Amino acid sequence: MQLRWKFVQRWEGLLALLLAVIVLYNAVSTPGYLTVNNWVNLFQLSIEKIIVALIMTFIIINAEIDLSVASVMGFSACMAGFLYAGGMPMEGALGVALLAGVAAGLFNSFWIGVVGLPSLVVTLSGLIGYRGLAYVLLEDRSIGSFPDWFNRLGQQPWLGPFPFAMLVFFVLLVFAIIILQYSGFGRYVFVIGNNQAVARYSGVRVQRTKMILFVVSSTLAALAGLLYAARLGAVRGDMANGFELDIITMVLLGGVSIFGGTGSLWGVLLSVLIILNLRNGMGLANFSGHVQTGVIGALLILSVLVPNLAATVRARWSQRRLRSRPAAEPGR
Amino acid sequence: MHKTRMMVLGLLLVAGLVLAACAAPAAAPAAPAEEAAAEATEAPAEEAAPAEEAAAEATEAPAEEAAPAEEAAASGEVVKATPGQSVEMVLMPKFLGILVFDQANQGAQEAHAELGNPAGLQFLGPTPENSVAGQIEIATNAATQGVQAIMISNNSGDQIAPAAQAARDAGMTVVTWDSPIPSGEGEQLFVAQVDFAETGKVMADMAMSILGEEGGKFAILSASPDAANQNAWIASMQETLKDPAYANLELLDIVYGNDQSEDSYNQSLALIDKYPEMELIMAPTSVGIVAAAKAMQDEGLCDTVKVSGLGLPAEMLDYTLNGCAPEFALWSFVDLGYTTYYASYLLATGALQGAEGETFEAGRMGSYTIEKDPTRENGLRIVMGPFTVYNAENVEAAAK
Repeated sequence: MQLRWKFVQRWEGLLALLLAVIVLYNAVSTPGYLTVNNWVNLFQLSIEKIIVALIMTFIIINAEIDLSVASVMGFSACMAGFLYAGGMPMEGALGVALLAGVAAGLFNSFWIGVVGLPSLVVTLSGLIGYRGLAYVLLEDRSIGSFPDWFNRLGQQPWLGPFPFAMLVFFVLLVFAIIILQYSGFGRYVFVIGNNQAVARYSGVRVQRTKMILFVVSSTLAALAGLLYAARLGAVRGDMANGFELDIITMVLLGGVSIFGGTGSLWGVLLSVLIILNLRNGMGLANFSGHVQTGVIGALLILSVLVPNLAATVRARWSQRRLRSRPAAEPGR
Repeated sequence: MHKTRMMVLGLLLVAGLVLAACAAPAAAPAAPAEEAAAEATEAPAEEAAPAEEAAAEATEAPAEEAAPAEEAAASGEVVKATPGQSVEMVLMPKFLGILVFDQANQGAQEAHAELGNPAGLQFLGPTPENSVAGQIEIATNAATQGVQAIMISNNSGDQIAPAAQAARDAGMTVVTWDSPIPSGEGEQLFVAQVDFAETGKVMADMAMSILGEEGGKFAILSASPDAANQNAWIASMQETLKDPAYANLELLDIVYGNDQSEDSYNQSLALIDKYPEMELIMAPTSVGIVAAAKAMQDEGLCDTVKVSGLGLPAEMLDYTLNGCAPEFALWSFVDLGYTTYYASYLLATGALQGAEGETFEAGRMGSYTIEKDPTRENGLRIVMGPFTVYNAENVEAAAK
């Protein structure tokens, strides 16, 4: 545990360094990068994804995965649009859409927590199913002309230069860090991710923890979907299509192990900043979309490769040390 | 105990979701079907005039006309471009990797050289799987970069409107081409490739000519359900079909291949399975028409199911010659990019105000007058035109 914790810290150091390089490079080479406006835009263009990335961090640390988040985003946004077009006041439509997200989360967590199916399978069917529901609701239409206050919420600064969604993100970030890193619940999340059987026999309520995570995940996804609808001012069935992979990328690059048990929100925050600044910098430097995707893909591969390589090297080293010194140090 | 409670809760949820799913389709038709309108997807065009020549001419272009253009517009005169002014511009296709958009870029570059614009012209587009968010990102970044004019082929319905409006608020010129913003919000002018109402008639005529006087049943393979241009063309075709002259044509279904080859191919195959009596697939998209023709060829169905629509001669050559797609139509995307560039340049330099009734000259393409767009509630347009119908006789020459 000691070793691993150190490593996590080192990974974050690496990320911080990378971020510094990217920010410096952008600042020097791209006029207009270091403006408040651009920084707001940079967050705003991906704000929905990074909100969901927070809860995805919990879920992956818990050794589970939620592939259905993007579909839930689309589903809740379409639900709101559908109800609004049907004559319901926007406030009511938003409330129902958020509840739809909660319901989707309860549905997922029932199969994962109670029945015990793998989350990969359950949320994969969620990915298809909730997207399907979104299309059932709106078919091939796009619905817009939302009330002004709703569009303003998504498109205008709300407090100072900051739009509403950005504040939501930072408030959630603080909560998430406190809960994951400084609360008992957070410790359960890690313990379960490390070894579910041990957690269960140690009296951790594994089932309950998982179910809470998946309900919160879908609820936040629904909220993010509604924020996305406000930002775009219109909804359609394919909204947020494919976002789940971007979200998972952010979390994995943040040093969270896909096998669970390790990772931190600080790492994820750094990786979010890296990806956003990288995209923004490449965008401002007129890199084509294909290159941007390629660079971020390469980063992800490195993020998996480097820790594994480091672990292998470290294992060899300690073996050698064991061999050379018969009186071995106590293992971890 | 705990478990049972959860189980009951879960079952209730399932029931709830099922109910919601069932209720939805029933309610859907009642909802306003706004959005019928707008787009025409890419139709490909004849071939570009050799761009080098045009560029060469550009240098000779008279630098007359520095006169205050606003007055000219007001008095109904033809506004001409003053070459050499610096306007940083971005041409944004629906997404990268589509031949017709590359051709539009070629046309825009031609106009760029012709006008001797010392600033840059960037061709920036999203990747296909990230088209909506990508277009918004590019438009937003363009404002940050200090780009002065952006030319958009919109692929995201009204979802791009806030970003376009933000660009307008930042002082940018926003012109759409190929596919407009349905609400017209954030957009100053739409450069329409052809009169959208005419597209429907051209497609219906091709269907009659392929199927003969006795007509037949056909289906439409479109791009994305939100493509304003596609939807306008389809609507105009449906309107045309009401004419007794086309009474023998029966539209079976409209499906969407999202301008992805594989999607479009699969949708075509699904159509044959679903409608054995279908005799024609009409695809008003350059991606869809090729995919549909390939699907029919691969299945050996070219004798029974024909393909038509809007396509690029270079891509359709084989299928036209072997009879899978005996006739199709298109306009020049090179000319579309060229015309769009001129309109944007004139708007960005203040020579044009973007008001109804203004007339301007777009280089070798001649004069255009800004008019209200009849296919949308709000929005101004110019119509470039014309259509060329291709068949076995003229496709080879055009494909070169």
